[in-house]
Amino acid sequence: MTEKRQLQKAQTRERIIAAALKVYSEQGFSAPTAAIADEANVSHGSIFVHFPTVESLWLCLLENFSQDINAEFNSLSEYGNDIERLLERHIDVLIKHEDFYKRLVKEAVYLPEEEKNTFIAIQSMVSIHLLQALEREISRKVVKNVPPHMLFNTWLGLIHYYLLNGDLFAPQDSVLKRYKSALIECFLSLIKQ
Amino acid sequence: MKTCIACGMPMKNTSDFAMSDESKDYCVYCARPDGTMQSFDEKKENMTDFIIKTQGLAREAAESAALSMMKKLPHWKNHFD
Ligand SMILES: [Zn+2]
Repeated sequence: MTEKRQLQKAQTRERIIAAALKVYSEQGFSAPTAAIADEANVSHGSIFVHFPTVESLWLCLLENFSQDINAEFNSLSEYGNDIERLLERHIDVLIKHEDFYKRLVKEAVYLPEEEKNTFIAIQSMVSIHLLQALEREISRKVVKNVPPHMLFNTWLGLIHYYLLNGDLFAPQDSVLKRYKSALIECFLSLIKQ
Repeated sequence: MKTCIACGMPMKNTSDFAMSDESKDYCVYCARPDGTMQSFDEKKENMTDFIIKTQGLAREAAESAALSMMKKLPHWKNHFD
Protein backbone atom coordinates (compact mmCIF):
# COMPACT_ATOMS: atom_id res chain seq x y z
CA MET A 1 0.00 0.00 0.00
CA THR A 2 1.31 3.45 -0.78
CA GLU A 3 2.02 5.83 2.04
CA LYS A 4 -0.79 8.08 0.97
CA ARG A 5 -3.34 5.29 1.05
CA GLN A 6 -2.11 4.16 4.43
CA LEU A 7 -2.53 7.65 5.75
CA GLN A 8 -6.03 7.85 4.29
CA LYS A 9 -6.92 4.56 5.89
CA ALA A 10 -5.71 5.74 9.29
CA GLN A 11 -7.69 8.95 8.92
CA THR A 12 -10.85 7.05 8.03
CA ARG A 13 -10.37 4.89 11.10
CA GLU A 14 -10.03 7.97 13.30
CA ARG A 15 -13.15 9.49 11.75
CA ILE A 16 -15.11 6.31 12.46
CA ILE A 17 -13.91 6.23 16.06
CA ALA A 18 -14.85 9.87 16.64
CA ALA A 19 -18.25 9.36 15.02
CA ALA A 20 -18.93 6.18 16.99
CA LEU A 21 -18.07 7.96 20.21
CA LYS A 22 -20.56 10.70 19.42
CA VAL A 23 -23.35 8.45 18.18
CA TYR A 24 -23.07 5.92 21.01
CA SER A 25 -22.88 8.67 23.62
CA GLU A 26 -26.02 10.29 22.23
CA GLN A 27 -28.07 7.25 21.24
CA GLY A 28 -26.70 4.35 23.25
CA PHE A 29 -24.67 1.30 22.26
CA SER A 30 -27.52 -0.18 20.25
CA ALA A 31 -27.35 2.69 17.73
CA PRO A 32 -27.11 1.34 14.17
CA THR A 33 -23.72 1.36 12.42
CA ALA A 34 -25.42 3.19 9.54
CA ALA A 35 -25.79 6.19 11.86
CA ILE A 36 -22.06 6.05 12.55
CA ALA A 37 -21.25 5.85 8.83
CA ASP A 38 -23.46 8.92 8.25
CA GLU A 39 -21.83 10.86 11.05
CA ALA A 40 -18.33 9.91 9.83
CA ASN A 41 -19.30 10.56 6.23
CA VAL A 42 -17.94 7.18 5.09
CA SER A 43 -19.63 4.28 3.35
CA HIS A 44 -21.35 1.76 5.57
CA GLY A 45 -19.03 -1.01 4.36
CA SER A 46 -15.89 0.87 5.31
CA ILE A 47 -16.81 0.62 8.98
CA PHE A 48 -16.52 -3.16 8.74
CA VAL A 49 -13.17 -2.93 6.98
CA HIS A 50 -11.83 -1.32 10.15
CA PHE A 51 -14.09 -3.02 12.69
CA PRO A 52 -15.28 -6.45 11.60
CA THR A 53 -17.84 -6.53 14.42
CA VAL A 54 -19.74 -3.94 16.42
CA GLU A 55 -18.19 -5.44 19.54
CA SER A 56 -14.70 -4.67 18.24
CA LEU A 57 -15.75 -1.04 17.81
CA TRP A 58 -17.15 -0.89 21.35
CA LEU A 59 -13.95 -2.43 22.69
CA CYS A 60 -11.81 0.06 20.82
CA LEU A 61 -13.70 2.98 22.42
CA LEU A 62 -13.39 1.39 25.84
CA GLU A 63 -9.66 0.83 25.36
CA ASN A 64 -9.15 4.45 24.33
CA PHE A 65 -11.03 5.62 27.41
CA SER A 66 -9.01 3.25 29.58
CA GLN A 67 -5.69 4.52 28.22
CA ASP A 68 -6.70 8.10 28.83
CA ILE A 69 -7.68 7.46 32.44
CA ASN A 70 -4.46 5.57 32.99
CA ALA A 71 -2.38 8.35 31.50
CA GLU A 72 -4.12 10.96 33.66
CA PHE A 73 -3.42 9.11 36.89
CA ASN A 74 0.10 8.13 35.94
CA SER A 75 1.02 11.70 35.16
CA LEU A 76 0.34 12.66 38.77
CA SER A 77 3.56 13.22 40.61
CA GLU A 78 4.44 11.62 43.90
CA TYR A 79 2.69 14.52 45.59
CA GLY A 80 -0.49 13.44 43.91
CA ASN A 81 -1.05 11.07 46.80
CA ASP A 82 -3.27 13.70 48.32
CA ILE A 83 -6.82 12.26 48.33
CA GLU A 84 -8.52 15.47 47.38
CA ARG A 85 -6.27 15.89 44.35
CA LEU A 86 -6.86 12.30 43.29
CA LEU A 87 -10.62 12.76 43.48
CA GLU A 88 -10.31 15.97 41.48
CA ARG A 89 -8.24 14.19 38.89
CA HIS A 90 -10.79 11.42 38.67
CA ILE A 91 -13.68 13.81 38.08
CA ASP A 92 -11.62 15.86 35.62
CA VAL A 93 -10.93 12.86 33.42
CA LEU A 94 -14.60 11.83 33.60
CA ILE A 95 -15.62 15.35 32.55
CA LYS A 96 -13.52 14.87 29.41
CA HIS A 97 -15.55 11.77 28.60
CA GLU A 98 -18.76 12.68 30.39
CA ASP A 99 -21.35 11.66 27.79
CA PHE A 100 -19.60 8.41 26.97
CA TYR A 101 -19.07 7.51 30.63
CA LYS A 102 -22.68 8.26 31.47
CA ARG A 103 -23.79 5.98 28.67
CA LEU A 104 -21.44 3.30 29.91
CA VAL A 105 -22.80 3.48 33.45
CA LYS A 106 -26.34 3.35 32.11
CA GLU A 107 -25.86 0.45 29.73
CA ALA A 108 -22.98 -1.61 31.14
CA VAL A 109 -25.41 -4.19 32.40
CA TYR A 110 -26.53 -4.90 28.81
CA LEU A 111 -23.04 -5.10 27.31
CA PRO A 112 -21.42 -8.45 26.46
CA GLU A 113 -19.08 -9.95 29.04
CA GLU A 114 -15.86 -8.83 27.36
CA GLU A 115 -16.95 -5.17 27.31
CA LYS A 116 -18.33 -5.38 30.81
CA ASN A 117 -15.02 -6.81 31.99
CA THR A 118 -13.12 -4.01 30.30
CA PHE A 119 -15.26 -1.55 32.24
CA ILE A 120 -14.45 -3.42 35.47
CA ALA A 121 -10.75 -3.25 34.53
CA ILE A 122 -11.04 0.52 34.09
CA GLN A 123 -12.62 0.91 37.53
CA SER A 124 -9.95 -1.39 38.92
CA MET A 125 -7.27 0.96 37.68
CA VAL A 126 -9.00 3.94 39.27
CA SER A 127 -9.42 2.02 42.52
CA ILE A 128 -5.69 1.26 42.73
CA HIS A 129 -4.88 4.96 42.74
CA LEU A 130 -7.63 6.06 45.11
CA LEU A 131 -7.34 3.18 47.56
CA GLN A 132 -3.57 3.42 47.94
CA ALA A 133 -4.05 6.92 49.25
CA LEU A 134 -7.18 6.07 51.25
CA GLU A 135 -5.56 3.09 52.96
CA ARG A 136 -2.64 5.20 54.05
CA GLU A 137 -5.03 7.72 55.54
CA ILE A 138 -6.90 4.91 57.28
CA SER A 139 -3.68 3.74 58.90
CA ARG A 140 -3.02 7.32 59.99
CA LYS A 141 -6.56 7.41 61.43
CA VAL A 142 -7.52 10.33 59.22
CA VAL A 143 -10.06 8.28 57.31
CA LYS A 144 -12.59 5.99 58.99
CA ASN A 145 -11.87 2.30 58.91
CA VAL A 146 -14.40 1.33 56.23
CA PRO A 147 -13.74 -1.67 53.92
CA PRO A 148 -11.93 -0.43 50.77
CA HIS A 149 -14.61 -1.56 48.34
CA MET A 150 -17.26 0.32 50.32
CA LEU A 151 -15.20 3.50 50.22
CA PHE A 152 -14.70 3.13 46.49
CA ASN A 153 -18.31 2.17 45.76
CA THR A 154 -19.62 5.04 47.85
CA TRP A 155 -17.54 7.43 45.77
CA LEU A 156 -18.66 5.88 42.47
CA GLY A 157 -22.24 5.74 43.74
CA LEU A 158 -22.28 9.48 44.34
CA ILE A 159 -20.82 10.27 40.93
CA HIS A 160 -23.09 7.85 39.10
CA TYR A 161 -26.25 9.09 40.81
CA TYR A 162 -25.56 12.66 39.78
CA LEU A 163 -24.58 11.61 36.27
CA LEU A 164 -27.66 9.49 35.70
CA ASN A 165 -29.90 12.30 36.94
CA GLY A 166 -28.05 15.06 35.16
CA ASP A 167 -31.30 16.36 33.68
CA LEU A 168 -32.46 17.18 37.22
CA PHE A 169 -29.20 18.44 38.71
CA ALA A 170 -27.75 20.34 35.78
CA PRO A 171 -30.06 20.58 32.78
CA GLN A 172 -28.16 21.38 29.55
CA ASP A 173 -24.90 21.47 31.46
CA SER A 174 -22.10 19.21 32.66
CA VAL A 175 -23.32 17.83 35.98
CA LEU A 176 -19.78 16.82 36.93
CA LYS A 177 -18.44 20.28 36.32
CA ARG A 178 -21.21 21.85 38.34
CA TYR A 179 -21.01 19.41 41.26
CA LYS A 180 -17.31 18.58 41.26
CA SER A 181 -16.38 20.41 44.44
CA ALA A 182 -19.66 19.61 46.20
CA LEU A 183 -19.21 15.88 45.58
CA ILE A 184 -15.58 15.89 46.69
CA GLU A 185 -16.34 17.92 49.81
CA CYS A 186 -19.26 15.68 50.72
CA PHE A 187 -17.31 12.46 50.22
CA LEU A 188 -14.35 13.70 52.24
CA SER A 189 -16.52 14.81 55.14
CA LEU A 190 -18.30 11.44 55.13
CA ILE A 191 -15.12 9.38 55.28
CA LYS A 192 -12.98 11.47 57.61
CA GLN A 193 -12.85 10.61 61.28
CA MET B 1 8.08 3.52 31.25
CA LYS B 2 8.08 -0.26 31.68
CA THR B 3 4.82 -2.07 32.32
CA CYS B 4 4.55 -5.38 34.12
CA ILE B 5 4.30 -8.28 31.66
CA ALA B 6 2.08 -10.27 34.03
CA CYS B 7 -0.53 -7.67 35.02
CA GLY B 8 0.03 -4.62 32.84
CA MET B 9 0.71 -2.24 35.71
CA PRO B 10 3.01 0.67 34.83
CA MET B 11 6.18 0.52 36.93
CA LYS B 12 7.13 4.10 37.78
CA ASN B 13 9.28 3.72 40.88
CA THR B 14 11.98 1.25 41.78
CA SER B 15 9.69 -0.05 44.52
CA ASP B 16 7.13 -1.04 41.86
CA PHE B 17 9.51 -3.68 40.48
CA ALA B 18 9.80 -7.20 41.85
CA MET B 19 12.52 -7.19 44.53
CA SER B 20 12.94 -3.46 43.72
CA ASP B 21 15.05 -4.66 40.79
CA GLU B 22 14.53 -2.51 37.70
CA SER B 23 15.91 -5.20 35.43
CA LYS B 24 12.86 -7.37 36.23
CA ASP B 25 9.96 -7.17 33.81
CA TYR B 26 7.26 -7.95 36.35
CA CYS B 27 6.02 -5.95 39.30
CA VAL B 28 6.11 -6.34 43.04
CA TYR B 29 2.49 -7.59 43.06
CA CYS B 30 3.26 -10.35 40.58
CA ALA B 31 6.24 -11.69 42.51
CA ARG B 32 6.23 -14.50 45.05
CA PRO B 33 7.93 -13.86 48.39
CA ASP B 34 11.14 -15.37 46.94
CA GLY B 35 11.03 -12.94 44.00
CA THR B 36 10.07 -15.39 41.25
CA MET B 37 7.02 -14.66 39.18
CA GLN B 38 3.63 -16.05 40.10
CA SER B 39 2.10 -18.82 37.98
CA PHE B 40 -0.99 -18.32 35.86
CA ASP B 41 -3.26 -19.77 38.54
CA GLU B 42 -1.63 -17.78 41.32
CA LYS B 43 -1.98 -14.57 39.32
CA LYS B 44 -5.60 -15.30 38.48
CA GLU B 45 -6.40 -15.87 42.18
CA ASN B 46 -4.50 -12.81 43.17
CA MET B 47 -6.22 -10.54 40.63
CA THR B 48 -9.62 -11.96 41.52
CA ASP B 49 -8.99 -11.28 45.21
CA PHE B 50 -7.84 -7.77 44.37
CA ILE B 51 -11.03 -6.98 42.45
CA ILE B 52 -13.13 -8.36 45.29
CA LYS B 53 -11.23 -6.29 47.81
CA THR B 54 -11.42 -3.05 45.85
CA GLN B 55 -14.80 -3.29 44.11
CA GLY B 56 -16.65 -5.83 46.26
CA LEU B 57 -17.74 -7.96 43.29
CA ALA B 58 -19.02 -11.52 43.60
CA ARG B 59 -16.23 -14.07 43.08
CA GLU B 60 -17.58 -15.32 39.72
CA ALA B 61 -17.79 -11.80 38.30
CA ALA B 62 -14.38 -10.86 39.67
CA GLU B 63 -12.77 -14.00 38.25
CA SER B 64 -14.27 -13.42 34.83
CA ALA B 65 -12.88 -9.87 34.87
CA ALA B 66 -9.46 -11.09 36.01
CA LEU B 67 -9.31 -13.58 33.14
CA SER B 68 -10.28 -10.86 30.65
CA MET B 69 -7.46 -8.67 31.91
CA MET B 70 -4.93 -11.49 31.66
CA LYS B 71 -6.13 -12.40 28.19
CA LYS B 72 -4.95 -9.02 26.93
CA LEU B 73 -1.37 -9.60 28.06
CA PRO B 74 0.92 -11.37 25.59
CA HIS B 75 2.67 -13.10 28.48
CA TRP B 76 -0.35 -15.33 29.24
CA LYS B 77 -1.34 -15.87 25.63
CA ASN B 78 -0.76 -19.61 25.52
CA HIS B 79 -3.16 -20.13 28.44
CA PHE B 80 -6.06 -18.99 26.30
CA ASP B 81 -5.58 -20.92 23.06
ZN1 LIG C 1 2.37 -7.16 37.80
